[in-house]
Amino acid sequence: MPEEKFDLASFKKVGMIQQKQLDYFAMRLRAVAGDLTTKQLRKIAEVADKYGKGEVHLSTRQGVEIHNVHHTNLEKARLSLEEADIKMGACGPRVRVIVACPGSATCKWGIIETKKIAHELDAKYFRQDTPHKFKIAVTGCPHNCAKATENDVGVMGGILPKWEKEKCIDCGLCVNVCPTQAISKKDNEYILDIKKCIYCSICTSLCPVSSWVIAKKGYTVFIGGTMGKIPRLGTRVRDLVEDKEELYELIDKTLKYYQKNGRKKERFGRTIDRIGVEKVKKEIL
Amino acid sequence: MDFEVKKKIDLHGVSCPMNFVKTKAALEGINSGEILEVILDEGDAILNVPRSVKEEEHKIVKVIPCDTTYRVFIKKK
Repeated sequence: MPEEKFDLASFKKVGMIQQKQLDYFAMRLRAVAGDLTTKQLRKIAEVADKYGKGEVHLSTRQGVEIHNVHHTNLEKARLSLEEADIKMGACGPRVRVIVACPGSATCKWGIIETKKIAHELDAKYFRQDTPHKFKIAVTGCPHNCAKATENDVGVMGGILPKWEKEKCIDCGLCVNVCPTQAISKKDNEYILDIKKCIYCSICTSLCPVSSWVIAKKGYTVFIGGTMGKIPRLGTRVRDLVEDKEELYELIDKTLKYYQKNGRKKERFGRTIDRIGVEKVKKEIL
Repeated sequence: MDFEVKKKIDLHGVSCPMNFVKTKAALEGINSGEILEVILDEGDAILNVPRSVKEEEHKIVKVIPCDTTYRVFIKKK
């Protein structure tokens, strides 16, 4: 049987996934935060031409995959990719390649340095074994382009706004653009309903006279999000953590908690639901 | 309203970024300190145009919701 020719588990660990054409593999590459240089793209094209079928597949997690590589060419293809510093991705029960939106590097709405955080988390956790797959996403703001709420751990930049009366010209733009109607006007005062505010920065960015200012800026953390067979949005466990080290400590505790308490083939969200959100929060916060 | 509207353009149905291009062109036709009234759609238009207007240092002085559109009054820098 062809399956017995390979140690499929160790292949999966480095992102080499057996196709239904059993002698052929998909090579999943590691593009942290979805970034590759043009030099790397050229190398990928070269390898796909030489060892694949001249095609690449873009995955839903910002990854690039070279499909249809014969198993006898896998090592040659991998070494060739390494020449351009392209590393292999991951598959199976472990921490996957970390996705991120461009964040404050180039996006007008970006609040946090998503790429930097993704790289730092990648350096620390990539390929660590977990009970089931473990996905991390970093998104720059509550527009949530990188879908922090659909990942086992999601980090989202955010700001808490504050109204400064003396600068306000009473134009009313903030009331009309706030996506959650968290801002209202009462007796010549603009009031923020903190329960409704999603920390999106639309008011502070748009206010023509900067009457809405940033009172606090930080990282909001979601845990246990997943799509797949049984979708579950992440549970918001912390709002606007200001200190990056504190954020990293929380992520570290969260991952360790899952590694200790998760059952085999049980996504983190299911673990949380089985044990109870409050109990999990108590352990990780 | 305690200001005089110098010019008025209806950008209902005009999508981004053309709505801002047209806003900018209309602002070219008035003098510094004068007011342009723009009708903008809800959704992307009311989010994007005010942001671009701010970046160009013009100032929105009033926003009045009007069904699915907004009447936006912009003071030219």
